[in-house]
Amino acid sequence: MKYNVPMGPYHPALEEPYRLDLVCERETVKDAHLRIGFNFRGIERLAESRNYIQVIALMERVCGICSNIHTLSICQAAERLTGIEPPPRANYIRVVMAELERLHSHVLWAGIAGKVMGFKTMFMTCFALREKIMDILEAISGNRVNYAMNRVGGVNRDIEDPAAILRMVEEIEREMTRVVIPVFTTNRSALSRCEGVGVLTHERAVACGVVGPTARASGVGQDLRRDAPYAAYAEMDFNVPVESGGDVKARLVVRALEIVESCRILRQALAKLPSGPIHPEDEDVEFPSGSAVSRVEAPRGEVLYCISWEEDNENPTRVHVRTPTYANMPAIRWMVTGARLADTPLIQASIDPCYSCTDR
Amino acid sequence: MTPIAERIPETFDFGGTWEEKSGSWWLVPEAAGPRDVARAMLAHGARFITITATELADGGGVRMDYHWDLDGTVLTFTFTIRDKTAESVYTAESIYDLSEAANWIEREIHEYFVVEFTGRECEPLFLRAGQTPGVNLREEDE
Repeated sequence: MKYNVPMGPYHPALEEPYRLDLVCERETVKDAHLRIGFNFRGIERLAESRNYIQVIALMERVCGICSNIHTLSICQAAERLTGIEPPPRANYIRVVMAELERLHSHVLWAGIAGKVMGFKTMFMTCFALREKIMDILEAISGNRVNYAMNRVGGVNRDIEDPAAILRMVEEIEREMTRVVIPVFTTNRSALSRCEGVGVLTHERAVACGVVGPTARASGVGQDLRRDAPYAAYAEMDFNVPVESGGDVKARLVVRALEIVESCRILRQALAKLPSGPIHPEDEDVEFPSGSAVSRVEAPRGEVLYCISWEEDNENPTRVHVRTPTYANMPAIRWMVTGARLADTPLIQASIDPCYSCTDR
Repeated sequence: MTPIAERIPETFDFGGTWEEKSGSWWLVPEAAGPRDVARAMLAHGARFITITATELADGGGVRMDYHWDLDGTVLTFTFTIRDKTAESVYTAESIYDLSEAANWIEREIHEYFVVEFTGRECEPLFLRAGQTPGVNLREEDE
């Protein structure tokens, strides 16, 4: 006999609201329907009543985890529209901030995944480690969540002592490779909850247009840092981890390997940080009429901003954001279909969903 | 850049003039609709990213920018829809049956801008305040 299990909007495993209506037969999920919109704030509409400085501050609040990525994306779009080029040092600082944000996002996710698996020691370990990454972000920007680093044409704050930041990064890398990554890639308890669970096939991943680690765990080797480099990524040497399993384990392994690659990028960016200004001397920004597109590889995958402006207007006529979770969430339906009901919270968590981003 | 990205204007001839600027290749197709474009994009292995809908001033319709990724290059196809099936309801072709990735954004545009996508159901609505489509982003009718 089939029965329905409504999960959410107050979710049993995750901190943000959305609803998943599961159609089950015995312990097996036969189908699922998603509902979002519980976090809708009308940010795109609000952006049309803000000037370009206010829009940056507004878009930073689309997401509490990858706030920096949103300001980077909209600043890049504005730079493409106005023709302003950020100086090289600013591009390197943007890479440092983006990779620190990826690290803290991936470690946060690892902690949540540990908690959902019932592995609470790992949750505490990951969150203690995440604190150290946030300390670095605070040391650079003065802030722990909304860093206010990006501006049109560069960044607002310099990294005055790259060597000190490098030492902090190396300490984090040691702990990551010594504790977190081995647990998630070799621990039997962790793997038994993940192996063969929540499979998203390569074909389905392509059809759904999923992005980021969710795509790379299903054998789709896309990463904008390599495929369409921005900031200073073209000057960085790194690998893009790809797994073919498509299950929770593959998504976990991809993120674990990405932590290592992020540390590698950070070491390069901090060691090669060029000298010079961090933004243009001329503060004037004048927008011509037109539209611009910018994409960035956020911790969860591709973010796209499309902005439009009319000349002499103070405010944009349109700011559209396509966040990675927006692309990844519909695939949850295919991941949970055929899975055990008890595994569905972990499967949902495995895409590292952000409903705040999705709803805007 | 990959070979295909170097030959975009020759490879994708939908009428109109290609322009490379501001982070994308842009085209207003004169001889193709969104479904023709979607078929061609998918045949070349492109990935659908999203649609940016913008309400034009003075009831000029809704501009729809379809963004596709082709080997790391963004291609944007712009269509302006002015047809209305009923008072203040615009209509556009759905590409959902061709690209599953377009499902949510078509539903969102339906809710934000009261655009009906032909050939598909957009209910249940999922991203809006209140019960009336169009209350989020569309200008209020006089």
